Amino acid sequence: MIEFHNVTKRYESGFQALSNVSLQLNDGQMAFITGHSGAGKSTLLKIIAMIEKPTRGQALLNRINLNNLSRQRIPFLRRNIGIIFQDHQLPFDRPVFENVALPLQIQGYRPQEIAKRTRAALDKVGLLQKEKSLPITLSGGEQQRVGIARAVVHKPMLLLADEPTGNLDPMLSREIMQIFIDFNQVGVTVLVASHDLRLIEELDKPRLTLNAGKLILNDLDQYDSGDQYGSS
Amino acid sequence: MARHNVRRRKPPTINQISAYFLHHLQSLIFSLGKIYQAPTTTIMTVAVIGITLSLPGGFYLFLKNIEAVSGDFRSSTQISLYLDLGTSEKQARRLEKDIAGMDSVATTRFISRAQSLEEFRRDSGFGKSIDTLSSNPLPHTIVVEPDEAETFTVRSLQNRLQAIPEVKIAKLDTEWLERLYTIIEIAKRSVTIITILFAFAVLLIIGNTIRLDIQNRYQEIIVTKLIGATDAFIRRPFLYGGVWYGLLGGIISWLIVEIGYLSISGPLARLNLLYKSDMNLITFSFQDFVVLIASSTLLGLAGSWIAVARHLNQIEPT
Repeated sequence: MIEFHNVTKRYESGFQALSNVSLQLNDGQMAFITGHSGAGKSTLLKIIAMIEKPTRGQALLNRINLNNLSRQRIPFLRRNIGIIFQDHQLPFDRPVFENVALPLQIQGYRPQEIAKRTRAALDKVGLLQKEKSLPITLSGGEQQRVGIARAVVHKPMLLLADEPTGNLDPMLSREIMQIFIDFNQVGVTVLVASHDLRLIEELDKPRLTLNAGKLILNDLDQYDSGDQYGSS
Repeated sequence: MARHNVRRRKPPTINQISAYFLHHLQSLIFSLGKIYQAPTTTIMTVAVIGITLSLPGGFYLFLKNIEAVSGDFRSSTQISLYLDLGTSEKQARRLEKDIAGMDSVATTRFISRAQSLEEFRRDSGFGKSIDTLSSNPLPHTIVVEPDEAETFTVRSLQNRLQAIPEVKIAKLDTEWLERLYTIIEIAKRSVTIITILFAFAVLLIIGNTIRLDIQNRYQEIIVTKLIGATDAFIRRPFLYGGVWYGLLGGIISWLIVEIGYLSISGPLARLNLLYKSDMNLITFSFQDFVVLIASSTLLGLAGSWIAVARHLNQIEPT
């Protein structure tokens, strides 16, 4: 699913966010990216999400080289990814239902299908009864769950989450992580950046640890390759 | 957890064309909803556009009226032929018949020396002094009305009439009219310049409003890009926003001009009564209305297009 070959990212400011990072995440695998802030976790996710391009090295998503994508192709490739942000990024002026339905509208789903899938996604995160609420009236945990529903509503192959539990208390964090694990169980590839080490220890998933842009720990190989879930 | 679904069913996405039209409809309604949600901003923007457009609109209507009035004058263009004093009434009447048969002549009217004197005595108030004159100083007059008002035709007719031996003076009293027409022509061009300038102003107003709109929804645009929206998809609601501003602004400007027209038409009716004239104010025709609304809507689209092209592409997730 994701391949990095000696990826280096240096920002215009001269800051080197990633140095020679190589990794391979197979279809259906789930992994955590850990490391202190500024270690390069977000940059790694941004390269996969086509927000940033590698300065050197190659990044591939589904064997497509992300280094030299045309502007026109990016939207269509992004439709294979669900992205979850720390600050959930929900347009506040439209109700929960509209927020979650947005990816389906973008992809031109039929209205009945949009309603069905949106409600299914909201049901999955336990917010079906809130579909008419405006995001601003929801708690932080609920807003994050709306964000997750929006990221998964179009059944992406890959789920990226950048500090999804950053602002939540331990119990809510565990709930959110459990949702990711559930998605992974049905074959979605999941990559979560988090510095919540205690929670990650509990979950027993492979870890990619970054330090000052270098990948210092990669135990993807010590876990099942993921394909055994992925074939479902 | 895994739900297998082997049943065949309709594809979840609709075909490209229906999806395209569906999103157009959604953008149209969404942008209208935005306008409804922010009535103060919308009213202010639309009012500025309306007032701006009402100026060229009003000038245009003013000119249209002036032209209509001066058109009435032109259709009453006359050439007065003052005959030689030695011409007898019989000769003069025969001449009138000849002239009536000439090309480009619509009607002729004969006024004898006696009639002229009588009219003069009655209208001028110099009756007494005229009575002291030993003989009638006024000539026989033939009033010729050309069948068209076109300057060249009228001029050539005047020359032909002047060439008749009995005609002492063929007087065409339209020089003031030509001056008026020149002034109208200048005014017309000024209106064109004003229209272009104000159209630019509207373009800038709408462009700026849409620019602010884009800035206000910066986060939303980024999110939409990240979940795979194409540039066209993101652009659409903003373009419709511009269309709405233009359309509503056009309607406001039409209302302003119509109200102005109504407020003038009362006193004008009284003036007509006083002058026993039948001058009528002309208002926008249906065609004018359509042109006004269509061009303001187009300006709205163009203004938002410029703003979107300049600012939307710069917004990329970081």
